[in-house]
Amino acid sequence: MNSGIGLIVWIIAYPFVSFSLGVLLGGYGRKLTARIQRRVGPSWIQPFFDVVKLMSKKTNVSHGYMHDVAMMMLVGGTLLTMYFVPVPGFHYFSQFGDYIVIMYILLVPPLGMALGVGQTANPNGSIGIARALQMLAGYEVTFVLTFIGFAMKNGTTSMYELMMIQQSGGVATWGLVTNPLLGVAALFCLQGMMNEKPFEVVIAPHEIATGPMTEMGGKYLGMMFIQHLINLVVELTIYMNLFLGGATNWFEYVAKLFALFTLVMSVNAVYGRFRTDSALRFFWKLPLPMAALGVILIMINGI
Amino acid sequence: MAEKELTQRTAWDKVLANLRKRSLWMLHYCTGCGAVELPPTMTSRFDMERFGIMPMVTPRQADILLITGYLSVKTLKRVILIYEQMVAPKYVVGFGSCTINGGMYWNSYTTIKALDRYLPVEMYLAGCMPRPEAIISGFNSLIDKIGKGEANSWKDYYENYEFYKKNQDHVFGDIETHHDVPADGRYFGILEAKR
Repeated sequence: MNSGIGLIVWIIAYPFVSFSLGVLLGGYGRKLTARIQRRVGPSWIQPFFDVVKLMSKKTNVSHGYMHDVAMMMLVGGTLLTMYFVPVPGFHYFSQFGDYIVIMYILLVPPLGMALGVGQTANPNGSIGIARALQMLAGYEVTFVLTFIGFAMKNGTTSMYELMMIQQSGGVATWGLVTNPLLGVAALFCLQGMMNEKPFEVVIAPHEIATGPMTEMGGKYLGMMFIQHLINLVVELTIYMNLFLGGATNWFEYVAKLFALFTLVMSVNAVYGRFRTDSALRFFWKLPLPMAALGVILIMINGI
Repeated sequence: MAEKELTQRTAWDKVLANLRKRSLWMLHYCTGCGAVELPPTMTSRFDMERFGIMPMVTPRQADILLITGYLSVKTLKRVILIYEQMVAPKYVVGFGSCTINGGMYWNSYTTIKALDRYLPVEMYLAGCMPRPEAIISGFNSLIDKIGKGEANSWKDYYENYEFYKKNQDHVFGDIETHHDVPADGRYFGILEAKR
């Protein structure tokens, strides 16, 4: 489905598919957390109700032009990233942009958020943004390092080609199996990237009143929720394509997505929250040396 | 002509109301002792989240403003500021006897006695204090009301703003909030849509 009518259908339908998957994932995550805490938990599609509720609010409080535009940057940047990440049956755009492009576009949503929150002029929001950028310094360095190591080993930066190389020999050629140091280091980064505990310092509801979301209400928060749900799928897919061999069909794709998310949410459910400095120290003490060691091993042995 | 149109709910309104009632976020303003009943309501024992009700931390995100307990004149001012920051539809729930008639503080000179003179209260949870079962049953009746489209007290604040403003001014002297409520009502088309 990478040419002609099929391509156009994909381009139009993909955001909705992605959003639906995000809703299922988000609902599943909340249900899972509830079950771990021995609660009944909300509905399986609770995020959908939340988004409908938020988008159907009657009044709105805008803090200015940038506040409105930032929401476009937030959702737009995430949708753009989504198109560049290959999924089974749809990898048309990945030939135009490798992982380095994705890395750049992934920074658009946080930037948009920073601009929008800046205009709301809420101190909690500003603290949230500062923390988000600090966390970026924590996990982004390591994640890029793991990717560089993996790309050096396989001689390509294209996410689609990396996926194909991993699929050539079954589980034995998965990134996580061939380069466990890089894979595990990136798993830590995934936890930070998805803002889940113990690295949930950006939102931190009991501490800085949900940080960037403090002044967002109604439709603004609805847009942020939509972005968050699509972002769940995108970030999990990036990790999956780099270290779990991507997927050959949609059944495998969804299964791997939920399995990976189960791991992330299980850690989220049982851990408390780090302080910002502890989180940063953790990232630079454990995953970063792991990734560096992995890269050095690849440089020496070429494995 | 418009009368009939606006009193009838369209199919879309019904669908929307039934989806909306599944997700209610609550900002609890814990002034009094009643707040102690909320943790068991939220956590594993009674688990409020199974109805889609979650605690939220800022007024902008919240749908329900839960006033747990007595309000002194000083805290009432904060509650009014918080209420006006919330995004409509918004529901004020008075929790415990103190919000209904002053409860055990009925003859105090610094507390207000009836909350619905100052804010449009959607629902009261009677009791001193209401147990988690009562809270859950109360929220369920609120959910039913929202589903039927009967939870419209928030519109009352726009329509009868003079009444609320008069009572607020009576307590505080001249109170200045950040929102021009009647102008907001006109801008978002709430005042035209009279029931």
